[in-house]
Amino acid sequence: MAAARVLERLGFEVVVPDGLTCCGQPAYNAGFQDDARLVVRHTLRVLAATDGPIVIPSGSCADMLTHQYVELLKDDPEDLERARRLAARCREFSQFVAENGGMDLAARLKARVAYHPSCHLLRGLGVRDQPRALLRAIDGVESAPFADQEECCGFGGLFSIKNAEISGSMLDRKLHAIAASGADRLVSCDLGCLMHLEGGLRRRGAAIKTQHLAELIDEAIT
Amino acid sequence: MSDAPGSPERLALLGFGDRARAALADRQLHVALDRTTAQFGSRRLAALATLDDADAVRDRARATKMDALRGLGDALRMFERRLTENGARVHWAETDADANRIVVDIARQAGVRRVVKGKTMVSEETHLNGALEGAGLEVVETDLGEYIVQLGHDRPSHIIAPIVHMTREQVGRLMHERLQVPYSDDTETLARYARERLRAAFLRADMGITGANFGVVENGAICLVTNEGNGRMVTTLPRVHVVMMGIEKLVPTMADLDRFLKLLARSATGQKLTAYTTLLRGPRRTGEDGGPDDMHVVILDNGRSSILAGETAEILGCIRCGACLNACPVYKNIGGHAYGAVYMGPVGAIVTPGIRGIEQAAELPGASSLCGACREVCPIRLDIPRMLLALRSAAVRLTPQPIALRLGLKAFARIASRPSVYRAAMSAMRRVLRARARDGWITRAPGLAAGWTRFRDFKAPAAQTFEQQWRARSTARRSS
Amino acid sequence: MARPVDCEEIVVSDARTAILDRIDRALKTARIPVVSAGARGVQPGEFGPSGTLIDRFVAEARALGVEAFVEGSPDAVRARLALLTDGRRVLAWNPDRLPYGADAVVSGAARGSSPRDEQAAADVGVTGCHGAIAETGSLALLSLPGCPRAASLLPPLHVALVRPDNFFFGMGDFFEARTDQIAAASNCTFVTGPSRTADIELSLTIGVHGPARVIVIVGP
Repeated sequence: MAAARVLERLGFEVVVPDGLTCCGQPAYNAGFQDDARLVVRHTLRVLAATDGPIVIPSGSCADMLTHQYVELLKDDPEDLERARRLAARCREFSQFVAENGGMDLAARLKARVAYHPSCHLLRGLGVRDQPRALLRAIDGVESAPFADQEECCGFGGLFSIKNAEISGSMLDRKLHAIAASGADRLVSCDLGCLMHLEGGLRRRGAAIKTQHLAELIDEAIT
Repeated sequence: MSDAPGSPERLALLGFGDRARAALADRQLHVALDRTTAQFGSRRLAALATLDDADAVRDRARATKMDALRGLGDALRMFERRLTENGARVHWAETDADANRIVVDIARQAGVRRVVKGKTMVSEETHLNGALEGAGLEVVETDLGEYIVQLGHDRPSHIIAPIVHMTREQVGRLMHERLQVPYSDDTETLARYARERLRAAFLRADMGITGANFGVVENGAICLVTNEGNGRMVTTLPRVHVVMMGIEKLVPTMADLDRFLKLLARSATGQKLTAYTTLLRGPRRTGEDGGPDDMHVVILDNGRSSILAGETAEILGCIRCGACLNACPVYKNIGGHAYGAVYMGPVGAIVTPGIRGIEQAAELPGASSLCGACREVCPIRLDIPRMLLALRSAAVRLTPQPIALRLGLKAFARIASRPSVYRAAMSAMRRVLRARARDGWITRAPGLAAGWTRFRDFKAPAAQTFEQQWRARSTARRSS
Repeated sequence: MARPVDCEEIVVSDARTAILDRIDRALKTARIPVVSAGARGVQPGEFGPSGTLIDRFVAEARALGVEAFVEGSPDAVRARLALLTDGRRVLAWNPDRLPYGADAVVSGAARGSSPRDEQAAADVGVTGCHGAIAETGSLALLSLPGCPRAASLLPPLHVALVRPDNFFFGMGDFFEARTDQIAAASNCTFVTGPSRTADIELSLTIGVHGPARVIVIVGP
């Protein structure tokens, strides 16, 4: 909802297509490509019936739609073509907002923010500066850098369960570094990372508030 | 059975999960890894910054390697011709056992008794030392890290730096026990102990064995990239030199070699060049002083041609710099032995299923969060995440999967392609989760999901889905 | 040009046939990305007169811990060399391979033809060089007759005598300019600083198997 409100504040009409379910990443990442394709084709069908930019408030889903759909559907020329057209319309939330007036929202919020760049966003999509720029554009937000900031948090989808101990160890390092940063908020653009980080913080009884970037911006413009 | 952490006997008894858990619980390993892995990243970046337009060099190198793979058959034929013209004998080995047999035969025919080895991962892959010792030969590893591995009956845990898993104190204790020298944890002293012993070995050896960092097709040159000088020693002093190399090590020209040399040391150790970059054009020539009388090159397949045939072909472009290991957060947490294979880290997770078959290494491609750090640091931008996903797909097709996972994902796929079913299923799940939650959080989950709650709390879903909130708001707006 | 002692025919073994067949078949299904990387290759850097190359070489060499001296006359070169070798056992390249009449200073040295024990006992190795690579501070040494590899390898101190016409900017430039000379030798080694290791905890130790100390004397 926060993402939708921010987009509306920027003057866009937000359309939520009926029938959207999942981008299909869990099955794809686990190697179940045939099963993933069922979901992928459905999502493709629903989105292909719309037009205009597709804004995705999650880095890994955005990477899935932008880069992996064409990989999964490469053996079917018609689907491949539709996947290419879809990919061209996709924008991750912070990418879109930064490019469409997000820097001029007159946003205001007093907070010390640690930003966690999710891997699919950073390396998959190459979205490095936009989230940070949006944070800088909020009056009162102070950035709290931390050690190994760009290192993976350890979520990795099913990795977090199949390799739970390794995931937990990676989480430990990340939270340790964030704790040392003095931040009172932790912000990221990926729902998976957020679930994992927030869950870890709560287990440790930490006082840091975890938010999606859209929620922070929404708070700052309300 | 050797009690060294990396001993093959020990590792073979465990699965990846057990090895990873053991590694995570190993305090000494963590001390060692923390002392080392923190340094890799900054060294690499600083070194690449000294390269004029590193991106262009990397792009060009990638293109060169991919082209070389496409023409690999002809390249090998040409390389063999040039090697032969240089005076080297070329041998072809289909399997690891064949390679070992060839090297043992070379040694026998040349009356060799004492072998000194430069560092070569290929010889680890074929377990050459065991075969040589079985044939009655004395084998001494001369790379400092490999020498320490040999002393401890251990296995290397990194492609470039074999003993990153050991603290200096552990090395000191090992040398004290095995070499009867005073205990020291001073790295210079420890290196000196090794140098004194190995000097004698170099001077007495009959045969030197090395790998090859690159083979240059146009002139048959074998390129060795080393720092210690042991590579030069084993290719200068003994009368026989044997090179072991995989089929994929070729670069077309000397100009290409120059390009790769600009990338290898920078990516591996943060140096512009290692102390010694050696090009070998066959055995000693008439009138030259020093160098072997005979040079043999063993070209090894051992599953590489199978890798070439599939989705992971591009991994054969790997120049063995180790940058992907250094960048991998999983490697940083569990170290190299946990992979249970000769090649570890991201490249190992792809090469090992290729060499052994996916059935024998199905867990490795899954041991990654697909963060992509490896692809980012790879000098030739190998698309490791893509290849890991391809291997996961192969694993699903060819190896047994946990039934719960298979059924669960199949069910999810069918549900997620039918919106009304999806809504109903999600709605049911929300009710269950919210019922289990206390203050909006679940702290213990059953069954498969228990892995989550061992380390994290799980946030219960909100009362309404986004779509429900959205529809409600749209309705409210329309009616106002 | 020296040729190898024996030139043997290519042996067509079963293994060779099998491997090459498998490769040819594999390439039909191989997924090898097509990469376009512009026509621009790595261009040799722009460099000015020799003076600039020497400065760059000296700076790079010193950063590696190599001691570099630039002497203005053959006398000065020989004097510098004498300081380093007097009273010490020397292993040297042959007289005609050492520039600046340097052999006069090391006339009693062991050579490539000396017994191995004598070579291994030397304190100082004295060589010329075939190329000095400014970009990385490296010395290119070819194993041509009279240029024993051992001289830059066995002794703990290696002294290299370099002439201004030996300098190149990059390794690639050396490859291009000296193709024939490189082809005539069985070994071409680029020495970039003293020998070293960081195998124990990535902590640097200088001087492992190769020389622990490298000194370069550049003459006029």
